[in-house]
Amino acid sequence: MDVSYQKPLPQPNADDRFFWDGCKKHTLLFQKCRNCGLVRWPPSIICPVCYSQDTEVIEASGKGKIYTYAIYHQVYHQGFRDEVPYVTAVIELEEGPHFLSNIVGCEPDNVECDIPVEVVWEDITPEFSLPKFKPVL
Amino acid sequence: MGLKDKYAIVGVGYTPQGRVPDRTALSFHVEAISNAIKDAGLRREEVDGLICYRHFPPLGGEPDVTPYLVAQHAGLVPRVISQEANCARSQLLNAMGWLDAGLCNYVVISYAHNPLSGGRSFGQRTDNYTKAVFGQFGATSGYAMAARRAMHTFHTGPDTWKHIAVGQRKWANLNPVAVMNDHTMTYEDYFSSRWVVEPLRLFDNCLVTDGGRAYIVTSVERAKALQHPVVTVMGIGQHNPALEIEQATNMAGPTGARLSGETAFAMAGITLDDIDACEIYDCFTYTVEITLQDYGFFKPGEGESWFEGGTIEPGGRMPVNTSGGQLSEAYFMGLTQITEATMQLMGRCGERQLGLQTNTKKPEIILCSDNGGILQTHSTVILRRL
Repeated sequence: MDVSYQKPLPQPNADDRFFWDGCKKHTLLFQKCRNCGLVRWPPSIICPVCYSQDTEVIEASGKGKIYTYAIYHQVYHQGFRDEVPYVTAVIELEEGPHFLSNIVGCEPDNVECDIPVEVVWEDITPEFSLPKFKPVL
Repeated sequence: MGLKDKYAIVGVGYTPQGRVPDRTALSFHVEAISNAIKDAGLRREEVDGLICYRHFPPLGGEPDVTPYLVAQHAGLVPRVISQEANCARSQLLNAMGWLDAGLCNYVVISYAHNPLSGGRSFGQRTDNYTKAVFGQFGATSGYAMAARRAMHTFHTGPDTWKHIAVGQRKWANLNPVAVMNDHTMTYEDYFSSRWVVEPLRLFDNCLVTDGGRAYIVTSVERAKALQHPVVTVMGIGQHNPALEIEQATNMAGPTGARLSGETAFAMAGITLDDIDACEIYDCFTYTVEITLQDYGFFKPGEGESWFEGGTIEPGGRMPVNTSGGQLSEAYFMGLTQITEATMQLMGRCGERQLGLQTNTKKPEIILCSDNGGILQTHSTVILRRL
């Protein structure tokens, strides 16, 4: 592990390990219900709409728009001390799921709801990469 | 529905509140409960139900505040006992169910915590790493996301929320036990307070408070034999959209307040026109706006003009959060609202008492709300003086 990385790290569990494995390969993977077609996040053993357990994993396009966002001015974790103000946002992906991430490559004051964004990858340690999003100009 | 005006709140217990060092959370529970029992004119042996509001892991060196430890220290031997660990706000409804089932005669509900002096941060939880890896912590960010979506959807914002922060502060200035009693707030003060998580400023955030609060519920028949004016539960409703904020699409309304409110008003058989004042759960200013909006006081985006001109302040046509609320009095989850409504209806609020004294309507019916999580749970309670 890169000892210089001071932020919290993913802790993959039985439900979401496939997602983080995908991130390491810079692919954004989600479960899709084979019965009703719902693409879901967070991962679950069962479709919350139709209760089917018949599930496939699809690769998302990485494109979406900002549903909402927050600009952190207060430091809640020392790993983010040098980052404020930073932006967390809920991304409404083309495939449907809402995914919490960061908006990068854009001044916080220029972020807006509903603007288009696309995924960019940040390799934080040899084990983990994080999907972040930047506005599409 | 069958529960209308069947159960009453008969006693309220306070403790020192604000920054109160060298006190355990347990000590505030016990003090609030004992004061509520004394206030109702009961003996502890008569109290046979206990509900502790949400459980927090103990701070260093303190005992874990379980409901049985609270019962032990308060000298209670309850027939029924309960506590919840998150923010489901069903305590009063549970108490009424125990009473209605004939299992209990008097139920005490208490909340206590010492986060300010104990140094508990509400922001540093990293137990959900799918959020923490992106720097998402605490409740302010979740409500900031809701508030931001509302700004986008119906064009609300700080110009609306300033009325809530400043209006509630004016009530706190009339309340000697309010943490902010000695601190006035102008619109300029509001706008110059620092950003916490934008679009929420420090003055959009509730207080972090040491202290406790408790109240006692019993049947109307028993209440009539006790010392205070009878304050009944006229209507009660709940609704729990449950989705975490990152998945929710109702953060700009309708929140749980819509169905919860409709349920409570249907039980009470009244309309908004019958409401004399509101005690609205105010973890953040935006929560007050969206709750009142979902209850139907104004249409989306019309909040700013509804609040303008001192609507919710002393002298206003719809007083809101008359103790100062959680923004300016003290934070005791839903107990801040229910206990204040009870005290107002009993006529025990001193300088801030609704009626002639504050140039407001004498209260007969007060609407209370409580919500938990990030707009994930909601409870509505309509109280009235018989």
